[in-house]
Amino acid sequence: MHKKRLVALGFTLVLLLAFSSLAAAELVDGRFTTTRKITVEVYDRSNPGGSTPEDNFFTDFIKEGMLRDHNVEVEFVAVPRWTEDQVINNLLAAGDAPDICVTYSFPTIQTYANMGGVINLDPYLTEYKELLPDLWDLLGDTNIYWSQDPDTGSVWAIEAILFQNKRINTFVREDWLNKLGLDKPTTLEEFEDMLRAFRDNAQLLLGEDADKMIPYSTSFDVGWRNDHLFTAFVPEELSDREMYVFGFDDRRLLYPGYKEGVRRLNQWYNEGLVWKDFPLYGAGDTTEDNMMKAGYVGAFMHNWDYPYRDGQEGIHANLQKLVGPEAAFIAVESFKNDAGIYRKYLSAPIDRKVFFPSTNTEPLASLLYLNWLSKLENRRFLQIGEEGVNHIVTETGAIQSLPVTGEKIMNSPQNIDYTIVINGLDLGDDSLTSKSIGLNYAGVDPRFIEPAYIITSNEARYGKNVQVGEIRAEEGMGTVLSEKRNNLLAQAVVAKVEDFDEVWERGFTDYLRSGGQAIIDERAQKYDEKY
Amino acid sequence: MEKTWADRRRSMANYIRKYWSLYLMLSIPLAYFIIFRYIPMTYIQIAFKRYSIIQSPWEMPWAANNGFEYFLRAFRNLDFLYALRNTLMLNFLDLLAGFPAPIILALLLNELAFPRFKRITQSVAYMPHFLSWIIIAGMAKQLFAPTSGLINIALNRMGFDSIPFLNDPAHWVGTYLFLGIWRNVGWNTIIYLAALTSINPELYEASAIDGAGRMQNIRYITLPSLRPTIITLLILNLGHILSSEFDRPFALSNPLVNSVSNVISIFVYRYGIRGLQFSLTTAVGLFQSVICVIFLFAANALAKRFGERGIW
Repeated sequence: MHKKRLVALGFTLVLLLAFSSLAAAELVDGRFTTTRKITVEVYDRSNPGGSTPEDNFFTDFIKEGMLRDHNVEVEFVAVPRWTEDQVINNLLAAGDAPDICVTYSFPTIQTYANMGGVINLDPYLTEYKELLPDLWDLLGDTNIYWSQDPDTGSVWAIEAILFQNKRINTFVREDWLNKLGLDKPTTLEEFEDMLRAFRDNAQLLLGEDADKMIPYSTSFDVGWRNDHLFTAFVPEELSDREMYVFGFDDRRLLYPGYKEGVRRLNQWYNEGLVWKDFPLYGAGDTTEDNMMKAGYVGAFMHNWDYPYRDGQEGIHANLQKLVGPEAAFIAVESFKNDAGIYRKYLSAPIDRKVFFPSTNTEPLASLLYLNWLSKLENRRFLQIGEEGVNHIVTETGAIQSLPVTGEKIMNSPQNIDYTIVINGLDLGDDSLTSKSIGLNYAGVDPRFIEPAYIITSNEARYGKNVQVGEIRAEEGMGTVLSEKRNNLLAQAVVAKVEDFDEVWERGFTDYLRSGGQAIIDERAQKYDEKY
Repeated sequence: MEKTWADRRRSMANYIRKYWSLYLMLSIPLAYFIIFRYIPMTYIQIAFKRYSIIQSPWEMPWAANNGFEYFLRAFRNLDFLYALRNTLMLNFLDLLAGFPAPIILALLLNELAFPRFKRITQSVAYMPHFLSWIIIAGMAKQLFAPTSGLINIALNRMGFDSIPFLNDPAHWVGTYLFLGIWRNVGWNTIIYLAALTSINPELYEASAIDGAGRMQNIRYITLPSLRPTIITLLILNLGHILSSEFDRPFALSNPLVNSVSNVISIFVYRYGIRGLQFSLTTAVGLFQSVICVIFLFAANALAKRFGERGIW
């Protein structure tokens, strides 16, 4: 039996090598002698005024470039951003998955890999390294081999690089602070007083619409949307081991102290400071955004540049249109931890994970695609678009983006949905990049972008790469546990103050019993083995 | 005289020559059932095997515990047990509240004096049946949300507190049942109204001569005549006691009420389609089907015991 398997393995390897050297031989000056075809996943965000994600000005740029440089035809497959994991599951199960897939969840890829659904990139990366200089330039060994299994050496996915490692910001209405004669809150207590002042002065701030006042809004994704508040309760002396062992949940639910942060939000809720309807609206719903645009919301936490995104369709532009030119959200820094530090817990500089399903018959063409995207001139064009249309170059050489409508609109900031190997602006020159970021939000005064950019990673602590191999207990549990976390947090927030502990205990015990504890235990055990 | 083999063959050939076109027509629905119902059933084996995304079910390896691994896992899974309880509870309450509703509405419609008014009422009552649950859930949020819902805004203006129609488990069950009845009551009256038209009018004439009133007519003539229809529908409904709709609880649910809204179909969606645990969820689906079949047979046997015709 063993012998047979070895023979089969050897045979496959020989075939593989023969096939791959054949493929390499078919490249002349980087171009295939016969036209190859690959399909690539792209997120469909269905944003208002957006273009067709699989067929627009920028996809044409990619398609033409790949055909010209490598003789590879590229076809995009649109996958809805908000139900991405389910759609990819279905496509994989049906054998229809795009040749190049992208997701944020490594455990999901690991699950596919265990079923034999993913190509191990390790041999191809070794074989074709010289053909992929730009990919190596951009990602380096660090990101390419980030998730390599320490025991088997397999590489199921390549980690994209995160340039501006940004996560969340706390935004408040600057014009409301001015109207009430308040300073920007710099402590939790000041922040709370500010929310109460918003609530108590609804008549002054909103006039007729006073009953629509929402001092603080949040969403069903309580963990993400209150991160600064919650993690301020995490003790400063959190160890690297704890960061890893309790790091399965990317909202930090398992971090020590987290519960007390949630308790604080629960108190706000019971004081009438928080939007009451938040749990009713699911992912992708625009109800809350619309209230921000209409000017009813005083403060919230969200992605670091959230109100400034989407140009003319965005929150900032609409707020200015509907309320007035002085109305704007500004980022503030209010939440210190026990050591008096504005600590943020940020991920390591990795972003999306790119993998090739086993139905991919063109691994070389697919890797060349990633290499093509990594090439500075190509990704630069995708990130900043056409001069005079998507951006202008200022006297200092910085890139200032312009509001665009119509066919040359970008569906995602800096086209991140196409530049799957990189997230965040990189113009190839650090000082130029940082000068340009403030100018990167068309129609938004850089004086709003700058504090947001600084605060979001101020006094941050970054995650480290921990390679301990597969955690078996995580398989298939990602979505189940995230949903439990969302439910637990929403229920704890809306509980009566005196019921908070009971609701938390019930939900948290359920989370641990449904697989959370098994993951913690396995992570702890494997961490202690390797470190 | 005993028929010879040749005779029998001849009569068979005659029969086929005469009726072949009917059999040909029958072959189309038969093919439909074979292709879309029976062939997919072979995939039930996934419940007993270790699922792989790239293998055909025939090649997948058997699961541990003689293939019953995933059934054991399901029954050890608290989420599944809650889903089972919620499914039974919601379906039972649905039956309790939703089953008599169309009978009552049909009786009311039947008593209406103006035919035109009756027709309009009937059409209006079954309109909601054509709305999808997604749309109804959207409307429910507009009406019932605690601060922005129309009804709660009205209550607040009148000085009352908001009623947590959607965000408290007990209230949510009420909203769930109410919306179910609202959507389906009109549609479900159709079959009763059809049964009502088949009642012999002479019975009513005779009772009128005997001096019976409306209530007595309903009690002694209309309801007994509806009995076979009611029993048949009850059996069919009992067959669905463990089956679960997906879109209704899924669209209406939110993070605050999942302790009552997570039904089996949502469990299957979450663990199977999203979590890729297809073997586990196929096992759950198979269990659900088996229970439904048992209920169907039991209800039918019970109906026969009480002297009704049953459904077969």
